[in-house]
Amino acid sequence: MGSLRNVGVVGLFGYTILFFTFIYLPIVLIVAYSFNADPINMMNWSGFTFDWYRQIFGLKNTVSENALYIESTEQLLNALRNSLTVAAFTTTIATVLGTATALALYRFNFLGKKFYRVLLFAPMLMPDIVLGIALLIFFVGAGVSLGLKTIIAGQCSFLVSYVFIVVSARLAGMDRSLENASADLGADEWTTFRRIILPQAMPGVIGGALLAFIISMDDLVITYFISGVDTQTLPIFIFGMLRRGIKPEINAIATLMLLFSFAVASLGLYFRSRRG
Amino acid sequence: MGEHIVQLERATKAFALPEGGTITALHGIDLDVERNEFLTLLGPSGCGKTTLLHAISGFVQLDAGKVRIDGDDVTERPPHRRPVNTVFQNYALFPHMSVGSNVGYALDIARTDRKERNQRVGSALELVGLGGLENRLPRQLSGGQQQRVALARAIIARPKLLLLDEPLSALDRNLRQAMQIELKTLQAELGISFIFVTHDQEEALTMSDRLAVLNKGLIQQIDTPRTVYDRPTNAFVASFIGASNLFEGTVRRSSASTTVATADGLQIEAACAGGWKPGDGAAATALIRPEQFALAGAGATGPTIEIAIEQVVFTGLTFQIHGHTASGRKIVAIIAAIRRADVAQAEKDGKVRLGYDPAAVHLLPDDAPAANEAVAGVAA
Repeated sequence: MGSLRNVGVVGLFGYTILFFTFIYLPIVLIVAYSFNADPINMMNWSGFTFDWYRQIFGLKNTVSENALYIESTEQLLNALRNSLTVAAFTTTIATVLGTATALALYRFNFLGKKFYRVLLFAPMLMPDIVLGIALLIFFVGAGVSLGLKTIIAGQCSFLVSYVFIVVSARLAGMDRSLENASADLGADEWTTFRRIILPQAMPGVIGGALLAFIISMDDLVITYFISGVDTQTLPIFIFGMLRRGIKPEINAIATLMLLFSFAVASLGLYFRSRRG
Repeated sequence: MGEHIVQLERATKAFALPEGGTITALHGIDLDVERNEFLTLLGPSGCGKTTLLHAISGFVQLDAGKVRIDGDDVTERPPHRRPVNTVFQNYALFPHMSVGSNVGYALDIARTDRKERNQRVGSALELVGLGGLENRLPRQLSGGQQQRVALARAIIARPKLLLLDEPLSALDRNLRQAMQIELKTLQAELGISFIFVTHDQEEALTMSDRLAVLNKGLIQQIDTPRTVYDRPTNAFVASFIGASNLFEGTVRRSSASTTVATADGLQIEAACAGGWKPGDGAAATALIRPEQFALAGAGATGPTIEIAIEQVVFTGLTFQIHGHTASGRKIVAIIAAIRRADVAQAEKDGKVRLGYDPAAVHLLPDDAPAANEAVAGVAA
């Protein structure tokens, strides 16, 4: 019996190792090869270099014979700027609208409230490709020229749902008697909102905002449909590079994006632990 | 300035049930609360006691009737404009604020001068025995400490009236008993009225100047704890406060004595010293509290009831003897632990003769519930 148990333990341990290897090995490899000096064959390690990072930022290379894989650094930085602009706008708009919606549904009862809630969930379940096509048809039909504005509007249409769900979850755990306690101690509704409800919803609001920001920075499918020909976001730019083969700079860009995501996630965790 | 701190006139409130229909929580209640009194609202869940409290604090808007606080009609005023504060059942401390900010909340809202505010927060915490804990967060405190913070927060604005909504129900027994005494002392110190809601009869008896027993949206009886206990106005009050043996029957009245004859052949003698004096032939229920029974010795002269013993429960101070009469009627008697030898003998015999003093028998108008429902109080 004992040996059978041991086999089970070893088996589970092995499975766990395999599981995490499967998830993290590709990411570790990308980070590692972003420092690989071999410009042609990525899988062939030929020394350590910062070249690909220098390349991204348009700095002079130490290895001169490297072919220029990025047509222009300007294009990359432009895509990054677009992504950040879009993310800043969508995060702000989606956070305000999503939070307001969550608060309204928490606070009030009205006819069709359940149906309204379902409508808010739906964009998350809808296939990206369907949403992308639908938005494209809508914008074109409405005669709106595609660009940053349509990306922002389009992304907001589903990011509001994410913020709504995160803030709602936070509000659901809130003790309703706190509002009564606040009123009992002399606070009017606005003061109660400002001093009791909002501070308690805040971790949810920040969490929702960070989620919206990450999803916005990351979105390829929907954005691809509604970005038009001239406007490139970072994911679209990288996707474009891939079509011309996997190049070492992509590893470097991916590593930088990974770092950035970590930073944002850490910020989120920090706020959670501080306000929890 | 009125004589009473709170006056309810014909307070009526019904709630719509989600499955349709309504439930009447307050059935036209009149209630006068004296200044500087500790009033307890006692009743089973759903009796309307919390609704009554909320009608005073303003969380419930009455369908009809009036609420006056200190003479002012506040019926239409929202909670934040009423001069009362509440200690909530689950304390409702603001989790994101320190103890000091919680306690000082009412003063911050009222924009009290900073120096005075800090001084008052300090002394309120001092008063509840938590001096110096201003900077803790509520979750870093024990349940009993949180309870005290809630108390300090509710009294800091010097309300004319403090409402307490089952504030002790989450505490363990020892702490609860200590807090009962402390609350009573605090009330005397502050010199304001406390209205305390509970479903715990022991709490109600321990602390109150007056006790209001509620059932089905009506005040069944309001009086001192002793009067409510000794002279309940009906069978509901009798069985809700303390354990009771109820004997429903017909009154036989003669010049010498009054007895209640039950359908199963018992004759319960009553002295009818005070309270209700029913006429001959009236339907009435006789109440004998379990502790009013005594083990009847061989030479006993007073009236007695013989029971077969089912179970004897030792609680430390007393023995609870559960048994039944020849006709199967359930009887509970409480005998002081000092009689342990006699109780042991009775237990061996399997039966015992219980004596009672007719002066201690209280007669109720007949609306008694079933007999086994009436003794349910002992088990709890």
